[in-house]
Amino acid sequence: MSAEAIADAVPTAQPGPKASTRSRFAGLRSAKTMTGLVMFGVFVLAGAFGPLVWRKDPSALSNDILQPPSGAHWFGTTQTGQDILAQVLVGTRVSLLVGVTAAVLATVLSLLVGLTAGYVGGLTDELFSALANVFLVIPALPLVVVLAGYLPTRGSLTVAVVISLTGWSWGARILRAQTLSIRRRDFVEAARATGERPIRIILFEILPNEFAIVASSFLFTIVFAILTQAGLAFLGLSDVTTWSWGGILYWAQNNQALQSGAWWWFVPPGLCIAVIGMALALINFGIDEFVNPRLRVQKLGPKRARRMPMAKSRPLPASRRTDVVLEVTDLHVNYGEGPDAVKAVDGVDLVLRRGEVLGIAGESGSGKSTLAYAITRLLRPPGEVVSGSIHYWPRGEEPVDVLRMSADELRAFRWAELAIVFQSAMNSLNPVLTLRVQMADALTAHRPGTTSQQRDARVVEVMTMVGLPADRADAYPHELSGGMRQRALIAMALVLEPDVLVLDEPTTALDVVVQRQILNQIMALREQLGFAVVFITHDLSLLIEVADRIAIMYAGRVIETGSASELYRSPQHPYSDGLLRSFPHLHGPRKVLTGIPGTPPDLRIIAPGCPFQPRCGQAIAACTTTMPLLLATTEGHQVACLLTQPRSSDDDEL
Amino acid sequence: MRYLARRFAFYLITAWAALTLNFLIPRLMPGDPAQALLSRFRGRLDPRATEALTAMFGLNNESMWSQYRTYLADLGKGDFGLSFTFFPTPVGTVIMDSLWWTIVLVGIATVVSFVVGTLLGIVAGWKRGSRWDQLLPITTFFSSIPYFWFGLIVLFVLSGELRLFPLSGGYSSWLSVDFSWAFLSSAFKHAILPGLTIVIASIAGWLIPMRNMMVTTMSDDYVVLAEAKGLAPRRVMLNYAARNAILPSVATFTMSLGFVVGGAVLTEIVFGYPGIGNNLYQAVINEDFPLMQGIFLIITFVVLLANFLADLVYVWLDPRTRVEA
Ligand code: SF4
Repeated sequence: MSAEAIADAVPTAQPGPKASTRSRFAGLRSAKTMTGLVMFGVFVLAGAFGPLVWRKDPSALSNDILQPPSGAHWFGTTQTGQDILAQVLVGTRVSLLVGVTAAVLATVLSLLVGLTAGYVGGLTDELFSALANVFLVIPALPLVVVLAGYLPTRGSLTVAVVISLTGWSWGARILRAQTLSIRRRDFVEAARATGERPIRIILFEILPNEFAIVASSFLFTIVFAILTQAGLAFLGLSDVTTWSWGGILYWAQNNQALQSGAWWWFVPPGLCIAVIGMALALINFGIDEFVNPRLRVQKLGPKRARRMPMAKSRPLPASRRTDVVLEVTDLHVNYGEGPDAVKAVDGVDLVLRRGEVLGIAGESGSGKSTLAYAITRLLRPPGEVVSGSIHYWPRGEEPVDVLRMSADELRAFRWAELAIVFQSAMNSLNPVLTLRVQMADALTAHRPGTTSQQRDARVVEVMTMVGLPADRADAYPHELSGGMRQRALIAMALVLEPDVLVLDEPTTALDVVVQRQILNQIMALREQLGFAVVFITHDLSLLIEVADRIAIMYAGRVIETGSASELYRSPQHPYSDGLLRSFPHLHGPRKVLTGIPGTPPDLRIIAPGCPFQPRCGQAIAACTTTMPLLLATTEGHQVACLLTQPRSSDDDEL
Repeated sequence: MRYLARRFAFYLITAWAALTLNFLIPRLMPGDPAQALLSRFRGRLDPRATEALTAMFGLNNESMWSQYRTYLADLGKGDFGLSFTFFPTPVGTVIMDSLWWTIVLVGIATVVSFVVGTLLGIVAGWKRGSRWDQLLPITTFFSSIPYFWFGLIVLFVLSGELRLFPLSGGYSSWLSVDFSWAFLSSAFKHAILPGLTIVIASIAGWLIPMRNMMVTTMSDDYVVLAEAKGLAPRRVMLNYAARNAILPSVATFTMSLGFVVGGAVLTEIVFGYPGIGNNLYQAVINEDFPLMQGIFLIITFVVLLANFLADLVYVWLDPRTRVEA
């Protein structure tokens, strides 16, 4: 599911603060993060209060030599009778302090370098980036070992400083990239334009947006520092008379703890390091999910092409007319489940006849793109078809319900019978494969018998059809212009001669001239090859020109449908009427569906009555309570508006 | 190849930075470590060693600049000075004897870890929300374990108690180093445990980013389109999702390699492996500064070389870097 499609289904206009906070922090409240936080908390408490509660001197010698864990010594004793639990508790304190100190220092360094480089740009950026990259490439541990080798004193603080000097560069690199991208956003540009001081912009506009990344690299550095300190101490390169986890291991190893069977001496410090590392990594998983919402969605496997349960199957639709190629009946698509579910498509019926162009118009948030994804069964969770049917009529055969196909049937059906062209040509092409490979693999999948010469010939054939020079077959997507990429996608869609072509805003990203050329080409090819087109766009005036019939969607429903000429001549729904009246005339400047005051409805707010009511200039009292149904007014023309429908006598005009 | 030329220039700069760092560290360290060392060893050290050390650390009152020139000139000739742990063996010779052990061990372990980790990451990303997600906490746990601690436990259990593997070293000491079957099989046996330690501890570093990148890439339009084309799931997973998701992994090879090298140094010490990490340890324990510095430089250069190889792979994988501009 593309980001656009999700945005299309779940309008972002004035989201309720409660809903948005809940979903924004969902990643941070996952079980993983919670477990990590609790584990980390236990260590912090143990380091802070442990030595106060377990009041044994970690260095005190005694006669209990190499005792296994017992009531008196929970973790046993060392070769000189020291209490290991006491050592581990003090060690927790020391190791955490070194880790946090090093992480604080490294984070400060990386913030200084990363923010300055990203914000100032230019030569400063070049120099700072080079510095960070150099430190990133020089292997850290050998450098720390060399530095520590020269140190006259190797106290914990010195070690922390040395570690921070080698551990700042990764954070700096990420922060620089992030700052660079935030700096170009509107609110920062605005602040700069009003002459705000750079330091204020950095602190109040940029930094808050980098909180998650800073936190993540901070936690990461703690682990790095604890591991490095343990390594140094284990090698005897840091002060081993202070008890740290690494220091305990140093003594255990030098006294052959494992070989003499004293596992209780050797195991706990290492386990502590591993567990704290894991705790911080778990918290970082949560932060990752927070930063990258795509990671958040659960249960998103290749099973996503889920089949509708057989039990829900409905009888075949009534229309058995032979010229129908695709029929959508009472389709419902939800995003999410249960009471929070958003009804992105809410009971849509559509009929597509062979060779015709069916236009679907709507603003973003109307559910039109979701509909396209549902027809092709490409919806990804949380989007899900809840009910309805999508029947496809193969030539001269019985209809099949796309929603109830098995995985194999679906694979065979896709592209061979129904192909789709997405909005963004750049994002739809695999950037690392040539056009030839991307077109030929559809042939290989659907016509396994073909030779590579036959496939090549077909690739060249479709490319010529859409006006692409055949020598571009070996080009990579980035080597093509925007218009050429869009042509390539269309060529790709035609490679198997499908019966139905779904175009999801196929030309919006292009300039008007190229747009026009490509549309003409598609329409010419349709004449020639006879496929039917479902054309989804927000550009109603374009549809009036090219479509045979048009369905206008609002809030997940079709609110008016009829032939293009009928709709142009006499639109009956106030929404369609408003749209059309905002166009000067057919061939005048193009207008998009924003000519109506107000914003698209928030589908999360479920109100009775007509969804268009808040923006409708002709609303009557009943509109707030009665949901208008899509009913025929004349032959082939249906409208969902109370004004065109017989109403009960007690309604008053407003 | 503009991209590669840029990268190459960057590695040259980094190499120069490492050289300079190496020059500056002993001179800028608080407490004048070289002088302290000299006074500690006074009389016990071969006069030639004292002289070499004096020259090397600029204790002969030459200007910083002329010291720097001499330093670079010596290195240019491949002269890293004399090791005084193995006096009078030149540092270069000591390093060369051990370098190959490390390159073979760490090189193979890194490749195995990268391949296995990436493959597991692909599957875990593709089947997210399934039981494969359990791989994440498990491998994270192993990656948080200190290499040396894990190595020692493995060594104690498998070699000490069960006697399945040799306890230490790189080959059985009675064999001569050649390409005989006896030597190679012995070297292999000795390398299994340290290699396994490195693989197990580093695998999460490849697996988790790969899995997350897979999940992110799977929502990209071209993956959705590949699915819409009715391609076999395996092809969508490998040629569309994974083929793109792997790019950041290769691009951030640098950082991951840094960790592996650090861990490998400790692993070698624990397993008494005759590699460069063990040498570094010896050098630091014996305050053999020339050897210590030489090893640091060599490790850095090898890492730079490995990074350049990763860049070559990147260029091969991503046609966008091949743009001639
Ligand atoms: S039903 Fe009422 S509110 Fe809705 S479009 Fe018709 S007149 Fe307007």
